[in-house]
Amino acid sequence: MQPQTIWQRMLSIDRRWLYAILFVNIVVFLLSPVRLRAPISPPVQKFYDEIESLRPGDLVMISSNWSASTLAENQPQLEAVLKHLMRKGVHFTFISIEAQSRDISLRLAKRLTEEAGYEYGKQWAHFGFVPNLIVAIKGMVNDLPATIKQDVTGTPIQQLPVTKGVKSLKDYKMVIDITPSGTVPIWISYSPKEVRILYCPTSVMAAEAYTYLDSGQVKGMITGAKGAQEYEQLLGITGLGAPFANAISFSHVLIIFFILLGNFALLMQRLHERREG
Amino acid sequence: MEAIIPHLIAQNIWQLPEANRTVYATLVVLGAFVLVLGLIPVLQALPPRGRRAIVVTVTFLAGLLFAAEFFLPVDWRAIFPKDDPTRNFLTPAIQPAQNVLQTIGALALGLGTYGLVRLHLRNVVQRRTQWGYSVVLLIAFLTMATFSIANTLAERQLLKLEGTPQRVLERGFTILFDYTLVQLDAAMFSLIAFYIFSAAYRAFRIRSIEASILMFTAMVVMIGVVPLGAYISYQLLGLPQGPAPEGAGLGTQILHSIDLPDIANWILFTLNAPAQRAIEFGVGIGGLAMAIRLWLSLERGVT
Repeated sequence: MQPQTIWQRMLSIDRRWLYAILFVNIVVFLLSPVRLRAPISPPVQKFYDEIESLRPGDLVMISSNWSASTLAENQPQLEAVLKHLMRKGVHFTFISIEAQSRDISLRLAKRLTEEAGYEYGKQWAHFGFVPNLIVAIKGMVNDLPATIKQDVTGTPIQQLPVTKGVKSLKDYKMVIDITPSGTVPIWISYSPKEVRILYCPTSVMAAEAYTYLDSGQVKGMITGAKGAQEYEQLLGITGLGAPFANAISFSHVLIIFFILLGNFALLMQRLHERREG
Repeated sequence: MEAIIPHLIAQNIWQLPEANRTVYATLVVLGAFVLVLGLIPVLQALPPRGRRAIVVTVTFLAGLLFAAEFFLPVDWRAIFPKDDPTRNFLTPAIQPAQNVLQTIGALALGLGTYGLVRLHLRNVVQRRTQWGYSVVLLIAFLTMATFSIANTLAERQLLKLEGTPQRVLERGFTILFDYTLVQLDAAMFSLIAFYIFSAAYRAFRIRSIEASILMFTAMVVMIGVVPLGAYISYQLLGLPQGPAPEGAGLGTQILHSIDLPDIANWILFTLNAPAQRAIEFGVGIGGLAMAIRLWLSLERGVT
C-alpha cells in the first residue's frame, strides 16, 4: 500500500481536528479583549432612526419568538432594543408564538426593566404565549382585548395602565419581530398598514428580508449578533453583541481559510496524480 | 325574515348577550360538547363517501367564512340600515371563529403531549430497546411540567406560596429552565456550526464557473458583513469610508465603493433581494394553489 501524500492526508483529515480548531477559535475570540468596530449598515441605522422617532409613551409590540437555540443572536438583539426603548420612555408589550420564548423573554425583560426602573403593567406588559400568529394578529387588529384577554399575571389587559384604552393593534406605533422564523411576512400581511414593522432575524434568515427592506414594508433590520453589535455601538453601550460578533467574525475567516485550503489540497493532489501518471 | 336579519346583526348574533352570560356560555359549551359527542358515532356509522361529504362541506364553509369576510365590501347599509359601515356583516363572526382556531391550535399541543407520553410509557412497560431513555424522558417531562405549571399558576396568583415552598419553586424553576433547558437547547443548536465547518472544508469544491462565482460571492458577503471586513477595507487597505463627495472624479467614486462592506451590501440589496422576491412570488403562487386545493378538499388524504 502506497503511503498517503500530504494532500491526501489533508483531504481526509479527522473531523475532530476541525471541531477542535473551531472550538479554540470561538473561545479565544469570544473572550479576547480585542474588539473590532463594526461599520453601521443601512438596515441597522434605519432601525435606530425609527425608534429614535418614537415619543415617550408611544406603544410598541414586541413579537419575541425565539428559543434558546438562537439565543446567541436573538438575546443581544432583544437586550439592545429594550434598552433603546426604555431610554426613549417608550411603552411596550410582548407576545410570543414560541412556547419557550414566553418564559425567556419574560425573564429577560423582567431583569432589564428592573435595572432601568421600568414598572410592569404601567410601562410594559407581557401577553404570554399565543398558539397561532395569523389568528392572533387578525384578532388583535379586530379586537385586541378580546383576543389577548389577560397578561401573564392573569390581569385583564384593559385593567393594565399600559394598555388601557387600547382597542386594536392600530393603536400601536410599531411592531418589532425578534425571531429566527419567517414570521415577518405574516406581520406584513395582516397588521395594519400604519403600524411600522422592524425586524430582528438571525443571520441565516436575513437574506429573505432584504426584499421587504427594499420595498419599505420592513423599516429597519438588525441582523443577528453582528447587527446587535452595530446597534450597541449606536447606543454607546457594551452588551453581548460585540463579543458574539467578534467570535463569528473570526469563525467566518477560519471557514473561508479552510475552504481555500481544501480546494488547494484537491488541486495539488490532482497535479500530483497527473505527474505520477 | 327581512326584518329579523338586520335585527340580529344589530344585536351582534356572533357574541353572547351580556345578561346571564355565564349561563349562555355554559349552554354553548355543553351544546358543542353534545354535538361533538353525537357527531363521532354518526361519522363512524356513515360510509366513507358520506363521511367525506361532511368533512368536505365543513372545510369549505369554514374557509368560505374567512374568504367572504375578506372580499365582501364593508358598507352594507343599503341592505342592513343598522349595520356598521366600517365592516361587513361577517366581520363580527371572525373573532369567535379565530377563538375556535386558537383553541384547536392549543388542543394540538395537548394531543402531541399525549402521543409522546403514550409512546414512551409503552416503551417502558414493554421493556423495548433503549427503554431507559424513555424513563429519562418521562421523568424530565414530569419534573419540568410540574415546576412550569406551578410557576405559571404562581405568576397568575392562582397558587399562593410563601416562605420555603416559594423559594423551592423559584429556585427549582430557575435551575430547570435557565440552567438546564436553555443551556441544553443552545448547546444542541451550536453543534451545527461544527458540522457546517467540517462540511464546508470537505464539500465546498470549485469544480465549475458557477461554483467559483458562488464561492467568491459567499466569501465577499461573509467577510463584508462582519467587522473584520471593515477592518480590512478601512484600516489595512486604507480605503475611504462612506459615500463619495459630490462631483468627485471616477477614481474617487470607485475607491469609495470597493470596500468590502459596501460590496456585501450591494450584493444583498441588488442581487439577493430580486432573487428572493422571485422565489417568494413562486412560493406565494404555490401556497395559493395549495390553499385552494385544501379548501376545496382536492388534496389527497384530506379526508
